Amino acid sequence: MPDIWGQAAILTKLLLYVGALGASGLVIVQIAFATATSSLTQRLRRQAIALAGLALVASLLGFMLRGAALTGGADGMTDPEMLGLLWQTPVGEALLYRLAGGALIIVGSLISRFGHWGTLVGCVLLLWSFAQIGHLADIGPFYVRLLLLLHLLGVAFWIGVLPPLHRLSRTPDHLSQAAQLGHQFGQAAMIIVPALLLAGLVIGWLLTGTLAALISTGYGQVLMIKLALVAVVLILAAANKLHFVPKMQAGDANAARHLARSIQIETAVILVVLAATATLTSVLSLPS
Amino acid sequence: MKYFALFALLASLASGAFAHSRVDTTTPENGAVIAEVPAGISFNFADDIRLTRVEMTHADHPSVQLDLGDQKSFDRSFTLPLTGMGVGIYRIEWRGLGIDGHAMQGEFTFTVE
Repeated sequence: MPDIWGQAAILTKLLLYVGALGASGLVIVQIAFATATSSLTQRLRRQAIALAGLALVASLLGFMLRGAALTGGADGMTDPEMLGLLWQTPVGEALLYRLAGGALIIVGSLISRFGHWGTLVGCVLLLWSFAQIGHLADIGPFYVRLLLLLHLLGVAFWIGVLPPLHRLSRTPDHLSQAAQLGHQFGQAAMIIVPALLLAGLVIGWLLTGTLAALISTGYGQVLMIKLALVAVVLILAAANKLHFVPKMQAGDANAARHLARSIQIETAVILVVLAATATLTSVLSLPS
Repeated sequence: MKYFALFALLASLASGAFAHSRVDTTTPENGAVIAEVPAGISFNFADDIRLTRVEMTHADHPSVQLDLGDQKSFDRSFTLPLTGMGVGIYRIEWRGLGIDGHAMQGEFTFTVE
């Protein structure tokens, strides 16, 4: 078991993932599927602002927790010397990207004149912060960092479609919009999901190196749990695409209720996937 | 509740070190048995680090924080003066920040007879 600081780091990282991926995903989905989500614009903006706010708070808290790891006590969280030190390292750089990215998303969602593209730049900055630090930044050449950005953009896109699709499927009046969004997402996912999976697998391979490490190390075991959970999400998503969405396109309101339920389960499993990832990136060392 | 259980499971698998400890050598060496209390202890690291906390525990006494003095820059080797507390087991716990931003920690013990 990691110590109290390790556990706090995992939880904070999980909140950061939810905030950063959720906010970015909502922005991307609003741009990609403007027509299908038009009835939810205000709602999705509010959600993006809340999630970007969560990402900001979690980023700051995570930074302070790293200060605690340097002193071994809570005093490190506010110790100017420790935080100043961290600021000089890539950890400080990542925090800067996160603060700038989260702020851009909030400003862009509040001021419509600011435009979609500025908000999108905020998403890329926020997600790019994850390629600045951590195991990958240590070992990887530049293209591996781009691969991680691609992976994260794909994950964000997937996560971002869930709130609007869930909302629309639960409103009988919006059945046709729900079917349209589900269908359009299904089409895009045929390219994006394999790409994000492939990027994830290449990154996983680069980090673990051998198949034996998957079984024999804590890092490998958590990675296997993550992959198994991703497989569950894929099965749910395939059922949505192949079964419920076509029925909804044919006007079956019952299928929409099933889709909404399926999205709830999918969301819960994705949260566990993110928790597994937070564990991998916070406390586990790579197989050497 | 299910998710808390899963979280606990994940966390329990995470038995790996929170920190990336890459200390190369220490003086005295870990586990060394020596005749006299050394005037100081030194660390050699594989990469540049900045020591942030060093604590010494002697036998059953409460731990004391060692003064890092002016060694407040990123470096690979550090020497800290040690106040002798007689015979017994000395345990040194250290924490630091790697130049790459990773928190690092480790410990070593030596015995004075």
